[in-house]
Amino acid sequence: MTRTAPHLTWALTPDSVAAKVRYPQMEKETVTLPRTALDHIDSLFRVARNLTGRDSDAEDLVQETYTRAIAAGAQFTAGTNLRAWLFRILRNAHIDIYRRARANPVDGGFEDEFAADTTTTASEPLRGDAELERLRGVVTTDIEAALASLGVDARAIILLDLEGFTETELAETLGCAVGTVKSRLARARSILRERLRDYRS
Amino acid sequence: MDCTEERTHLLDRRRGTLEGELRARVDSHLAECEACRREDAVDRALSLALHDRLPRRRAPQALRRSIERRIVGEPSRVSGSIRRTQMALFAAAAFVAAAAAAIVWWKPLGADPMLAEAVNDHLRIVYSDHPVEIESGGIHQVKPWFTGRLDFAPIVAFAGDEEFPLQGGAVAYFVDRKAATFIFKRHLHVITLLVFRSEGLPWPVLATHPLGGARAMLESSRGFQVLMWQKADLGYALVSDVDPADLQALAVKVAGGT
Repeated sequence: MTRTAPHLTWALTPDSVAAKVRYPQMEKETVTLPRTALDHIDSLFRVARNLTGRDSDAEDLVQETYTRAIAAGAQFTAGTNLRAWLFRILRNAHIDIYRRARANPVDGGFEDEFAADTTTTASEPLRGDAELERLRGVVTTDIEAALASLGVDARAIILLDLEGFTETELAETLGCAVGTVKSRLARARSILRERLRDYRS
Repeated sequence: MDCTEERTHLLDRRRGTLEGELRARVDSHLAECEACRREDAVDRALSLALHDRLPRRRAPQALRRSIERRIVGEPSRVSGSIRRTQMALFAAAAFVAAAAAAIVWWKPLGADPMLAEAVNDHLRIVYSDHPVEIESGGIHQVKPWFTGRLDFAPIVAFAGDEEFPLQGGAVAYFVDRKAATFIFKRHLHVITLLVFRSEGLPWPVLATHPLGGARAMLESSRGFQVLMWQKADLGYALVSDVDPADLQALAVKVAGGT
């Protein structure tokens, strides 16, 4: 994939009505974002914090999200899902930042973990009660470390699901078909369980 | 048997969003398949861990205000690092102002913030739907539960008795740090015991009540009695609306073991 920044493209619906936003050229800021966009700031911050791992990075990512949202606010259609739209922007901003920080920015990686799927299938041996006991005993640091070890897409789908996103919202935010959300989420949770075995303190 | 298909529906089933024939098919499969029942239980434990153990953080107030200003049309174009520098300067100025105010208003019994915090923590317990995270099977069940959840070991030897039965424990915050919370009962009254690291807190200068080798301060606030003391590097706060004599009796038992 070719890096396209400073242009950002996202899909507003699963049917993908694409909108292009010039960024980060900062013309005079025209504010058209509904005030209700602020209602989602805690949720955005929580997800950003778990995506970046640091409070300061999360603050920057949320600032960046609102900057892009304000710049593109005129293109937000009232009545459509503001929350999914904001999280879509946050995800794209995070991808841009993440790729900028990588040594080789053109390499993918967001689908890598799903491709190298370690999903539990019925053919695998049972993990049994030991895993159940381990999960019951995990602490915050275990979960945060295990989440941080996941690929960005796997982490994002788990965090958004935790924020109460519906399958449709998840599809809108992650830019995938509604029909694949369920299996993606199941795979991500399965990988998290695997990692929690390793990170159990 | 290949259960892969059924397993993709277990989460929806637990959330009540699986309906009709598919629901019936998964139910039927679970009734027959022990492996999938176990898988369901493990996945449920993952959901609980994510829900209960992952912190529910809130956006910092400064960030909220900054974005709110921009949404309502006040332009702000500072970068994160500049913003943080500004915030640091503002914080420094605020600290100097607060320190000056503290010098003017300081009084020997300057534990009001701790008093208010203790009462607030107690109220959070009282009004919580799930005040205890670990039900009591005795102190030797409650104390180990804190392992891994706190960065200190709460020293509380009193295991509860008929007079003050121990209900359970939970993790709370006291001011800026985690606290082990033990919940006792006295008849129908709830008594909260908070144990936390004591350094860096505005402890009272004049704590007058002798208590198991320590000295405690008994204060009342908003109708609640608060008894606070330090021992070693731990701080203790007992809060309740019981008679002060009852609170002191429990404090003697708790402190006796510390």
